[in-house]
Amino acid sequence: MSTVEYLLHGLGTAMQWHNLVFVFFGVLIGTVVGVLPGIGPMSGVALLIPITATMTSGLSPEEAATSSIILLAGVYYGAMYGGSTTSILLNTPGESSSVVTTLDGYQMAKQGRAGAALAISAIGSFAAGIISLVGLIFLARPLSAVAIKFGPAEYFSLMVLGLLAISGLAGKSMVKALMMTALGLLLATIGIDSVSGVERFTFGIPELYQGLEFLTIAVGMFAVGEVFKTILERDHNDGEIAKISRILPTKQDMKDSAAPIARGSILGFFIGLLPGAGAILASFFAYIVEKKISKHPEKFGKGAIEGVASPESANNAASGGAMIPLLSLGIPSSGTTAILMGAFIMYNVQPGPLLFQDHPQLAWGVIASMFVGNLMLLILNMPLVKLFAKVIETPAKYLIPLIIVFSVFGVYAVQYSTFDLLLIMGCGVVGYVLSKNDFPLAPLVLGLILGPMMENNMRRALTISNGDFMIFLQKPVSLVFLIIGLLWITIPLILKLKGRRVLVNEEG
Amino acid sequence: MNHSFDRYAGIVFCAIGIAFVIGSTSISTSAYGSNVGANIFPLFLGAFLSLMSIRLIYETFRRQQKQQNRERLDYKRFGIIFTAAVLYALFLEDIGFVISTFLFLMIGFQTMQRGRIWISVVISACFSYGVYYLYVNVLDGTLPGFPSWLVLF
Repeated sequence: MSTVEYLLHGLGTAMQWHNLVFVFFGVLIGTVVGVLPGIGPMSGVALLIPITATMTSGLSPEEAATSSIILLAGVYYGAMYGGSTTSILLNTPGESSSVVTTLDGYQMAKQGRAGAALAISAIGSFAAGIISLVGLIFLARPLSAVAIKFGPAEYFSLMVLGLLAISGLAGKSMVKALMMTALGLLLATIGIDSVSGVERFTFGIPELYQGLEFLTIAVGMFAVGEVFKTILERDHNDGEIAKISRILPTKQDMKDSAAPIARGSILGFFIGLLPGAGAILASFFAYIVEKKISKHPEKFGKGAIEGVASPESANNAASGGAMIPLLSLGIPSSGTTAILMGAFIMYNVQPGPLLFQDHPQLAWGVIASMFVGNLMLLILNMPLVKLFAKVIETPAKYLIPLIIVFSVFGVYAVQYSTFDLLLIMGCGVVGYVLSKNDFPLAPLVLGLILGPMMENNMRRALTISNGDFMIFLQKPVSLVFLIIGLLWITIPLILKLKGRRVLVNEEG
Repeated sequence: MNHSFDRYAGIVFCAIGIAFVIGSTSISTSAYGSNVGANIFPLFLGAFLSLMSIRLIYETFRRQQKQQNRERLDYKRFGIIFTAAVLYALFLEDIGFVISTFLFLMIGFQTMQRGRIWISVVISACFSYGVYYLYVNVLDGTLPGFPSWLVLF
């Protein structure tokens, strides 16, 4: 079957009524998650996994996986839309990839053009969503066709590359990021070894035999950790919420932002493809590029519509681009896609080159649902933007305890154990303390998810080579991956030594 | 950047790394005809983690400590909510989802901001029973119900 046929099949899946409901709730919850400052896309997706698992329990395994992933992916790109709302109206980004939007968005709001800024960011996000989807459709299958030829040695090196790339760009200190990655990989070894069946680091505690569940760690680190931070640091929004007068942008606004949207989308898409980069870097780059090529760079920071259009398109395009390595290689490139990958694994679906062969309904259903979801987001965001702005006013008093209850409920509904509940509280404290001191959390969760796959591939490769580690250097593709990985962490180091400022990704 | 924290964190991480290295020496070194056992992966990573931690500790000595003004943290509020959350986790199975959630939410709402008790009661009650009803009766999930000694329901 050709790509177009597959896509039409996927559209058929996405248009089933229950999947339409799932997309709708996904993007709706995603927008709310993006708007609420205390909760980002990572904790949003992690908290919803158990709930979707129960909601889909009546369906067949493959259908259940399709519907859940459709909803969770909707939360992911929906949050990119929602994040801009608070940036523009309140000068506080709802999630970290909308930081740049505050620069010009809030200025526009102050000049009474809040409606235009919100509309342009919704339109830009929509255009970017579509552009990145087209890229996804044409790149995902060829890429998985290449990846299917990889042996265990190549796969191991590819994962090393992925982890190094994320550690190289995560947070302020690369040493800390590497430490967190190693810790995540080590935590993944706890439990019964899947190859030989021996128990490792369990100390005879029965709860540890099945290993640490990634969901528990992710909910604890991100959702509960974030809540603890809010409680301890008392951040509230004192800012005045700007008034929205007119929603539709003027013709001049549209004309000014058409080119920035196109540039931001394409740039964002390619940055999203890179492991470790992701939406935050994409929006920063897009803003810098736009400022560089503008004829009036002095307008930036004073309410230039280009400064809203381009980064908002870029962060949405990056979230689409980030789906490509996840679906076709099985390697997540950011914290949120790592959690999405955890959801795939929970449904016993292995993302990677075989996904398009083994589960075409799922893969193309999810891709097609992103078309539908982006359309829904545009419709939701244009007329309802005033309503979403109201969500910001949800008092923290009620929000904070409710997030803890949701975390407890979500983890208990999947794990049925008090041990896991205590673990999320512990992870919450550890997560807060670590992230407060610039230890990035995303690499830890990524290591936890990639750990078992990485170890199995390493041991398979070593079994083939009879224990000779040179196999990773003798296979040319594997060698190339390792060299790129090494460059990825050494180049920023060299740049830093030369005194250049290096942009980092501060997700989570 | 807080250097003394980094130093202690480095020591703790280093200890974790060494613990994994030592732990992995007692794991079988071979599996079914392959000379690659379950010990290699944790052995290498444990060593890597310790090395990186030593590097971090070294960095904290090399750089000079910048004075920073400490922000005041709300330990009292955190202490109450954290204790309540741990108790909530511990007793969820014993007293059931509805009662424990209701109690936790009441404590949480009132600790965040005192006052307007009736609104808190209504929200906590609706939420705890609403979620339970939706999940157990509509979605057919399982949550700990009401305790058996309570014969109200």
